Amino acid sequence: MKRRSFLQLSGMSLALSMLAGCRKGNEKLIPYLVPPEDGATPGIATYYASACRQCPAGCGILVRVHEGRAKKVEGNPRHPVNQGKLCARGQAMLQELYHPDRIRQPLKRTGPRGSGQFEPISWDEGLKQLAEALAPFQQADRDGLALVSAPLRGSLATLTGEFLQHFPKARHLAWEPLYPEWLHQGMFGKLGTPDYDFENTQYLLSFGADFLESHLSPVRYGHGFGHMRQARPTVRGRYTYIGPRLSLTAASADRWLPARPGTEWALALGIARRLLKDQRVDAAAVQAAGLSLSAIGELVAGFDEQRVAEITDVSPADIQAAIDEAVSISPALALVGEMTAWQSNGPAAVAAIELLNLLFGNLNRPGGLYFIPETGNQLASGYAEVTGLIERMHRDQLQLMLVYGSNPVYSLPPGSGFTPALAKVPQVISFSSFLDDTSRQADLILPDHSNLESWGDLIPPAGTRSEVIGLMQPVVKPLYDTRAFPDVLLALAKALGGELARQFPEKSYLQWLEQDLSKRIPALATGDRRQKMDRLLQEGGWFGPEVEPVLPKSLVLPQLPPAAEFSGAPQQYPLQLQVYPAINYYDGRSSHLPWLQQLPDSMTTAVWGSWLEINPQTARELGINQGDLIEVTSPVGNIRLPAVHYPGLRPEVVACPIGQGHQGLGRYADGRGANPLQLIATAENPGQQLPAWGGTRVQIRRLADNGGLVMAGHPEGSYHRDLLGI
Amino acid sequence: MKKLLFRLLLLGIFGSMLAGLALLYILPLDTLDPSPEQPLPFSHKLHAGDYQIDCRFCHRHVEAGPVAGIPDLALCRACHQHIATDRPAIKQLAEYWERGEPIPWVRIHQLPDHVYFPHMMHIRAEVACSYCHGKVRKMERLTRVSSLKMGWCLNCHRDHQASIDCWTCHI
Repeated sequence: MKRRSFLQLSGMSLALSMLAGCRKGNEKLIPYLVPPEDGATPGIATYYASACRQCPAGCGILVRVHEGRAKKVEGNPRHPVNQGKLCARGQAMLQELYHPDRIRQPLKRTGPRGSGQFEPISWDEGLKQLAEALAPFQQADRDGLALVSAPLRGSLATLTGEFLQHFPKARHLAWEPLYPEWLHQGMFGKLGTPDYDFENTQYLLSFGADFLESHLSPVRYGHGFGHMRQARPTVRGRYTYIGPRLSLTAASADRWLPARPGTEWALALGIARRLLKDQRVDAAAVQAAGLSLSAIGELVAGFDEQRVAEITDVSPADIQAAIDEAVSISPALALVGEMTAWQSNGPAAVAAIELLNLLFGNLNRPGGLYFIPETGNQLASGYAEVTGLIERMHRDQLQLMLVYGSNPVYSLPPGSGFTPALAKVPQVISFSSFLDDTSRQADLILPDHSNLESWGDLIPPAGTRSEVIGLMQPVVKPLYDTRAFPDVLLALAKALGGELARQFPEKSYLQWLEQDLSKRIPALATGDRRQKMDRLLQEGGWFGPEVEPVLPKSLVLPQLPPAAEFSGAPQQYPLQLQVYPAINYYDGRSSHLPWLQQLPDSMTTAVWGSWLEINPQTARELGINQGDLIEVTSPVGNIRLPAVHYPGLRPEVVACPIGQGHQGLGRYADGRGANPLQLIATAENPGQQLPAWGGTRVQIRRLADNGGLVMAGHPEGSYHRDLLGI
Repeated sequence: MKKLLFRLLLLGIFGSMLAGLALLYILPLDTLDPSPEQPLPFSHKLHAGDYQIDCRFCHRHVEAGPVAGIPDLALCRACHQHIATDRPAIKQLAEYWERGEPIPWVRIHQLPDHVYFPHMMHIRAEVACSYCHGKVRKMERLTRVSSLKMGWCLNCHRDHQASIDCWTCHI
């Protein structure tokens, strides 16, 4: 190009860009048809306190509302769980409210199941159909009704429980994939989820617990972790992570020990052995727990540094250093998480690692674990109940299934046989807000309100030492013709009549909520309840006094964990697949929100899709380049996705985030990426109480050059590093 | 020689840019219609003038919020369910209500996005509505009488000894 023409062009584009700034005609002023009841002043924001149910942690939120429209969600500073912080998933709940593919009114299936063909119907008709379907199950001997939901909390749990009592043989399956069932089956059993005192600990050991991303209550833990590292003037807590993959949580550690999958427990036993040898064990605590030191000594015998290094395949020097630190620094805290618990030897490994906390003597002490009994929340059904229900479905023993707040078609692996079993259930009724994988198979959909339109109470299952009941209140009027699930139950009770109608005279769920809360919150029981309730809603919930923790008694000594088993022959399937909950999508429930889709993954910077992480060494051996399309095959299925070279991974392990690969769930999630749960072969690990999400072998094959990988950054270096010579 | 030419060229480019900006400032580039036709022939003369209805009866948020607020359709209807129901414009109003559609009024007073103009502060300072909006009580169709340019704002701020700091309005 000539210099003259270049200058002409740039001059023209300058002029054009200035012209574009000029306005075209007058704007329109669109007033309200009917103003909001609370008299919103245009231009002045109102803030409402509510609670977040995007994951079970139960953080408190503050929502900025402008002229009746929710605009921004932030953490509630007074809420003890998140103390003013909020994760990206919580902030993105706005997009759930305004999602273009939300179900706006009750739908009835018209095409064949799974075709996604529905016609809108009225609530009267929908409720009538639901009541007709439910009525026969009120008889004492009528079997075949099941409600599938996530574990319910607070007053919703009591309402649903009391409602279902009128259907004598109805089953309620309360299950979600990331529920810490393994923790409840661990050494401290039904004492509930412990509260980890990160703030005061000096040495933190994480055994595959990604507590900054998805483990139980990430915002609470992130706050505690920051405090442990930086908020004390004289100490900076030290932190070691052991696990096969360098997660964001592992990357925050002082030392990462890349152990073989399913061998992390060996380090715990190694530390236990040294604690006994150096007589640094809290003998009184061990005795109080009903265990004997000699039995523990037998369990850990022989686990010297060399043996631990052999089992975990980590350098002996690193193992030595980690054990030295854990033995000499006090208080120390051992955390066990999904990456360990999801192996086939998970339950035994969890117990062996939990034993360490007893030996450290940190139970109910500063810098340790506090056991606060969890009250008011429904306990989750075990995975055994899931497989039991699927078996009944296969045997045509289920006539009606109600699905609320759960997406089992997506989250149950194909080995469980859920999807074919669902086809055998004559009637499926869903309360989902979106046409997700499961509600696409439903016959009738009665859409629930979104988070920001709902009443409710959330009791955090982990992460506070005081009694906390977070309150949800609608911050906007419902956008569409949807109804809250508990309100549907109350309407049903009225429609079914008889004893049921007498037991549920409440006109609305709010009324039920207030009554239920006044039983649990002493202050609400007396005086002007309405006024006190308003006060609680303003605060964001009821934040009660500290609870006396329970001391575990008569514990059972853990067994020596067996070697982790992996489905698939090693010759045919040479690599071990580790799936992990993506920080953006939790268990896949948030992948319909574009803000989260375009939020770069914190380790790989990948956006809008899924990927398989491969160690660069393995990738070179297989001839796979960054971004190549590959096929991953396990004994039960196969998926296609792009490859990412990821050095923070053992060479024999490949890793894939959970969350993408939906069939449905709106335009942003539908068909995007791949669902690695489709590869999990739980059925081939017989006799298991828990699904071994991490116990599958795979083989990978390169298919093509371009796998459609989109990265926001260039983790292998900048674009033109060849030119810069770095 | 070449260096001189290059300098001249640079000077030319910057000069023309400056001249362009100056032109943008001077030229009458205000493309907005100061008295557009509205979807309904609403008469401020009739309402505010003849019937002496206070401005704040309809523009309810002027004392509390940054914008005065356009009355919602329910407010129009509250009176016009009973008053002058036979007029064509009122029938049109009723039709909007029946359709559940707000009236798309055409905006007359508009400031650029980088200006923060709070009505409530000016009301608190006892600036009369007509000081900026003109004699609305005599207008059959509403017309903008002020330029709404920065100089116009500043003149008034100086006269009333209000702050003329940049950050007063450009926040």
